[in-house]
Amino acid sequence: MSITLRVALIIITVIYLYLIISSVKKRKMQSSIAIFWIITGILLMVAILIPNFIELISNLLGFEQTSNMIFCLTIFIAFGLIFSLTMILTKQANRTILLIQEISILKAKILALEETINDKKEDKK
Amino acid sequence: MKKILLIIPAYNESKNILSVYKKIKEFNKKESKVKLDYIIINDASTDNTLEICKKYSMNVINLISNLGIGGAVQTGYHYAYQNNYDIAIQFDGDGQHDINYVNDICKPLINENVDICIGSRYLDNESSKFKSTFMRRLGKNIISIIIKICTSKKITDPTSGFRAVNKEIIKLFTLDYPTDYPEPESLVNVIKEGYNIKEVPVSMNERENGKSSINFLKSIDYMIKVSISIIIDSMRFKKRRKYKEE
Repeated sequence: MSITLRVALIIITVIYLYLIISSVKKRKMQSSIAIFWIITGILLMVAILIPNFIELISNLLGFEQTSNMIFCLTIFIAFGLIFSLTMILTKQANRTILLIQEISILKAKILALEETINDKKEDKK
Repeated sequence: MKKILLIIPAYNESKNILSVYKKIKEFNKKESKVKLDYIIINDASTDNTLEICKKYSMNVINLISNLGIGGAVQTGYHYAYQNNYDIAIQFDGDGQHDINYVNDICKPLINENVDICIGSRYLDNESSKFKSTFMRRLGKNIISIIIKICTSKKITDPTSGFRAVNKEIIKLFTLDYPTDYPEPESLVNVIKEGYNIKEVPVSMNERENGKSSINFLKSIDYMIKVSISIIIDSMRFKKRRKYKEE
């Protein structure tokens, strides 16, 4: 890796980490989810800073080519992420359904109450 | 006297809902032994279903967002649970179900040790004039067979939306009720929870107005999804319940 490429990559990774942390600060991302992204950022940083780091691991694991390991890893992580997102989605959907149901029942109750109150007022008049 | 609630889900049923309402009123006048309460769940209809309900001051819950049949019916179960009803009966808003069978469908819950009673079109061949189309019968046969294999219970009409449940199952349904194609899946859940099921013969009418929402592609989609969810649900461990002898 040439020095210029390495410097460029480091700058990009720093910006990446900064974006994550600032979005947590602004409460745009939950910190529990942000941990995952911060770990990926740190891993990227390590891979850039320590030369031959990735080659070492891929040799250790027995990949024929380093790029194969990276593709493999990325796909696994992406699948895991999508899987967990689907689960979160279902949970959210269930909660939304419950909310809609409860609010609708409450609204109906309030309407009925208002009507009885109005009827009583009219009776008094 | 048992408190009985009719849960009537309605989505764009402006043409049918009034006749359903009138039939309930007639029934209450005619029958002195039972009094039926009802709740219409308007599933955010895009036509004037809600206006009609308001005009005749029917008992209606207006869902603030469209939930589909499962979510709408579950709202009814929430209502039944909160208002302490003994029996809840699902009753379609499109006039398919015949109110005169309500007594038949409630009897097993009151007199026998039954938790959920299903109105079946196919239990005996004579009682129902309307058996629906060939494709639907084929579909329900396949679902029946899958349920039989998975739970070893024979349900002749698993897609029937006309059914009565007792208090325990009302509570169960408020906690867990499938959203997309609720009838067969919820049945498997109930069987797996160890409750008693009974079917009684009923006759259903053809839809009075409007089209059924199921076409060819959708029915294939329906079959696949229902089959898969039944198989997955049936993998759950079956609970055994002890019943009090009464």
